[in-house]
Parts: sequence; structure tokens; C-alpha cells
Amino acid sequence: MRTIALLLQKDLRLLRRSPVLLGILVAYPIAIALLVGLVAGYASAKPRVALVDEEGLPSVVVVGGERFDVAATIDRVSEDVTLVRLPRAEAERQLRTGKIVASLTVPVGFMSDLRRMARSPRLELRTTRGGLSTRVTQQVQALVYSLNRQLQSAYIDANLDYVRLIRKGGDGSFLGRRFEVLGLDGTERLLAGLPPDERVDRVRRFIRIAGLALDQTDDALRATANPIELVTVSEGGRTWVLSAQIQAYALALTISLLALLLAAGAIAAERDENVIGRLTRGLATLGQIVLAKIALAATVATALGLAIAVAFGAIIELGEVEGGEPWGRLPVLAAGIVLAGASLGAVGALLGVAAREARTASLVALLVALPVVFLGLVPREVVPEAGLASDAFPFAHAVRYFGSALYDSSPWAALLREAAWLLGIGTVFAVAARFGARRLSA
Amino acid sequence: MSRTRPLLRADAVSRRYGSRVALLPTSLVISEGETLGLVGPNGAGKSTLLALLAGATEPTSGGLESRPGLRIGWAPQRTALYGRLSARENLEFFVRLEGERASRSAAAALLADFELPLDSVAAADLSAGTRQRLNLAAAMIGEPEVLLLDEPTASLDPERRRRFWQLATRVKEAGGALVFATQNLDELDMFADRVLALRGGAVVFEGAPDDYLQQYAERLHA
Repeated sequence: MRTIALLLQKDLRLLRRSPVLLGILVAYPIAIALLVGLVAGYASAKPRVALVDEEGLPSVVVVGGERFDVAATIDRVSEDVTLVRLPRAEAERQLRTGKIVASLTVPVGFMSDLRRMARSPRLELRTTRGGLSTRVTQQVQALVYSLNRQLQSAYIDANLDYVRLIRKGGDGSFLGRRFEVLGLDGTERLLAGLPPDERVDRVRRFIRIAGLALDQTDDALRATANPIELVTVSEGGRTWVLSAQIQAYALALTISLLALLLAAGAIAAERDENVIGRLTRGLATLGQIVLAKIALAATVATALGLAIAVAFGAIIELGEVEGGEPWGRLPVLAAGIVLAGASLGAVGALLGVAAREARTASLVALLVALPVVFLGLVPREVVPEAGLASDAFPFAHAVRYFGSALYDSSPWAALLREAAWLLGIGTVFAVAARFGARRLSA
Repeated sequence: MSRTRPLLRADAVSRRYGSRVALLPTSLVISEGETLGLVGPNGAGKSTLLALLAGATEPTSGGLESRPGLRIGWAPQRTALYGRLSARENLEFFVRLEGERASRSAAAALLADFELPLDSVAAADLSAGTRQRLNLAAAMIGEPEVLLLDEPTASLDPERRRRFWQLATRVKEAGGALVFATQNLDELDMFADRVLALRGGAVVFEGAPDDYLQQYAERLHA
């Protein structure tokens, strides 16, 4: 233990003597984490969609006596997608080249179909394959759903006007033809002037029952039109950039790159300095040298990881972000960072002994770190094979541990499971690094 | 003539690096009060033999045996130091690893003996000769009984060479042994009691320095 502590102390001193290297080691993973965050942010950015208006939509449309602000509807769609007006040919060309991900066409005759209500007016959506097209389809489906809801409401109001006409009587129009309706109330008044008769009584009873039934039509019609209604109360929760998931990913990504590069570079540097022989002839065993590099990775990763966690928490507190920062979980998080740093350090140590030279080791560590990180970023529900592969490396377990440590209400089962994974993976890689370390003294 | 006790014994040790043979099976005994000179052309196997004797490299075959508790110092041909640490920090680090508690005073003594700079200049920024003196000083940590030196004076000036041999021969005088590889025949003549010549990883001569030098001269004039 004393030997490992001395080696670690020496490594930390060497690291401090290389401010540029230390700066890059700290800044680089943070920069990568930010870039990945931006890419993730781009995933939720607006896709570009063409609007092909062959009908020449007016800015305001009146349907069923209701005014529809077409311009406002288009603005609302633009909150989710970047809507660009294009002629059909240009939209088709841009769809083929991928410059737009979808085109929404308003065909000729749309407005007359809408006003006549004789058949459903159609919108035509064309998308590219895969990628963002699913999201665009969902957004357009949501738009059509929203328009249908508004139209439905207008149609119901129009139909209820007819029901009221039947109930009360008066002037009405349908398909441009005007007419006068007596109505149930007028009929009742007429019947009141007739001599008593059993048939008149039967008609009167019918009018009363029909009147009662028609009085219920309003609520019944609206309820059947919307068996389940979704009510959006208000927008809540954190923005994606401050979400628990981004916090966990940023932490894991930063310490992954740092620990891998540091351990790989540090162990290979021992060979570059030609000191392996001097150390292994009784001063330190190869196992102790490997453990010292793992300890170095864990120490630096913990310092940086905690600094990031505290900075993130401070931003959340100062910004009074919903949910607040769970400061009480910081010790649990710290334990996870130590474990993850050590586990990743073991992977780095193995890469370092395989590469043998510090420069090669750093390059190899970087080349290995990025796919490992991206494997862990692929949702396992989408690509199960990526999930299985990433389980063999510490990154995905670190993400899950950090996420649970920070925000799960009952985190202990997940924490123990992921801690066991990190420990197990770290041990396997450390043992492999110890055996591989023989190459260093050759 | 008093019988000397063996300190270190190599029994048919060999070393391969992949398919390349660095040292064929070689047997050797190093005894108390002895100075053994290793000679031979570049790539003959001298450095490999010294690294094997130092325990810095595992033999591919054969075995090594040493007197229990024997302290061995080793100075490889290529300096084995941390370039970003100063001379003092390098020595203090290795002294601590040796288990010595008084690392500062032990390091200070070596800094003085080898006339090393006391400032914080990194070892990588020192001159080749100063780095080599630091390398030799590191080999002297822990008061070794056997000193294994690989071309120790190659980059030292004459005065530093003289001073170094004074320090090194103290080990021999204290009942230890010196083994050094060299290309300098004058040093071989002055300091070695016995010579082991290697060529292509094999021992081609073992005997007194005078005999080796005579053979060498004859070969040179043949």
C-alpha cells in the first residue's frame, strides 16, 4: 500500500509539472461532453420541412361559422419544425437530396372540401427514410390532430346550431339554401291552439320528450367526439441541458476520457522513462505499478467529477431550476465516481501496457474511448446489441449509477447493481493489465 | 590466497525477445571483492546480462541465485529517471521506495557525492553527463553490495570519471562486487579483476584482463 501511495504521489507530481497536459486532460473531456451535448441538443432541434401550398391558403378561413387563422396555425407548427414554403418541384428535389426531411402539400381543392364537408380534405406528407422522419411524421400527425380538433369543435357548434334551430325554430341555411324552420317550440305553440284530442296529446308528449333529449345533445355530442381529452396544464421540468440524464452523461463521459487517457499514458510513460526495470527489481511489483495507475485515474477523475457535479449543482441552485440539486446524494455520487474512475483506469492501464509507448497509448486510448462512449449513448431499446456491447465497459454502468445516485427516489438496488458491475469489470481489466504489464519490462 | 564467497550466481541464463536471441545460456559467478568487466561489440548481450543479474528482466531460461538479503544497485546504459522530476526529487523518490525513512538526508548525501545540482531543474533538462551521474547516484541508493553498471562513464568528463571510480570502488572495498560493461579498454585494465567477453549473445572469453588485452591486441595486428 505504501509503495502504491508513493507511486501515486509521484504521478500526481508529474501531472502537476505538465500544466499544458493537465489542462488538456481536463478541458478535452469537458469539451467533448459539451459537443456531445450539442449534438444531443441538435437531435431535438427543428427539422426542416417544406410547405407546398398548391391551394393558395388564405390567411383566414371560415368553416362552420368559425374563423380559422391559417397564419397562426403555420406559426404554431413552426415551433417544432422549420417550415419553408417551396414549390412542389423544388420540394421534391430537396427531399431527394435530404435538404428537407419532409414536405407537407396542401393540394388544390383543399379549401372547397373543407368548406363543403362533403368529404375529408387531404394533406399530403412525404418524408425521407429513417432519422428524423418519424419525428416529423409524429409532429404533422399532432398538427392534423389539433386541426381536426378545432374543425370538429366548429362542426359540432354548427350542428348544434341546427339542433337549436329544430328546438327553437327560425331561419337557417344549408349548402347555400336558406329556409325557415317551425321548431319544436313553435309546434308546441301551434298544438296549444288546437282542440284537445288524444292524437294532439301524443304529439305534445313527443315534443316534450324530444325537447328534453335535444337539450342534452350539446354535452353528449362533445363527449362522443372526445371520449378522452388530453389537457395540457403547463410546461414544467428542466430543460434538456440541465436534465438528470445530461448531468449523468456529462459526468460519465468526462471521467471516461480522462481516466482512460491518463492511465494509459501514465503506465506507458514508465516504460518511456526506462524506469520499469529499476522499479521492478525489488522496489515495486508490476501489480503495484498497475494499481498505482488505476489509483491515479480514480483520484483525478474524482477531483474533476466532483468539481463538475458541484458546478452543475450550483448552476441549478442559482438558476432556481425545478427539482433542485440533491446535495445529500453527493457522497454516494463521489463513491460512484471513484469506482467508475478506477474501473476506467483499469481499461486505460490495459491499453497502456498493450501500446507500450505513451504517445501510442494516448492515441489508442482516445480511439477506444470514443466508440465505448458512443456505444453507451445508443439507447438499448433501439439497438440491443449496442447495449450488450456497452455492458462490457464501465461507461454505461457509470451513467446508470450517476443517474440513480442523483435522481432516483429509491436508488439503492440500482446503485449496488451498477457498483458491482463497475467493480467486476474493473477487476477483469486490472488483472489483464497486470499480465500485459510484462511487456513493459521486455 | 583467501577464498572469497560468491554473492551472485547465474546458471545458464538466457534471454530471447521474440525470435531474437539477446543472450545464449550463460553461467557466471560473482564473488566478494571482485570487479568483473564485460566487453564486446554493440548488441553482444552485455546490457541484457546486466539487466538479468539486476533482476530487471526475467530470464527466458536458466536461473539466478543470490546471497539472501543481497543489496544490488543497477545503472542501465539508458538513464532510468523521471524526466520531469529534479535530481533531488528523483533520488528522494527511489530512496523512499527502498524503504529508507530519512529520504532527504540520504538523497542529499548522494547529491553531494555525485556533484548533482540542488535546484529544481528537471532531469530531462540536465546535460547528458549530469543525467548519467544522477543515473549512477540512483544505483548507489540503499548502499548496494553488488553494483551493476552499464557503460557508466560513457558521457562523463575525465575528472568526473575519476571521482566516480573512487565512489564505485568503495563498494568493492567494503566486501562487495562490481560488474561493469565498457568499451573503454583503459578502464578495463585499471579496474577489472576478471573479464567476460561476449559476442552474438555468447561468452567468447573469460579470464584475466591482461590475457584479454593481449588477445585483443593480437587480433588487431593480425
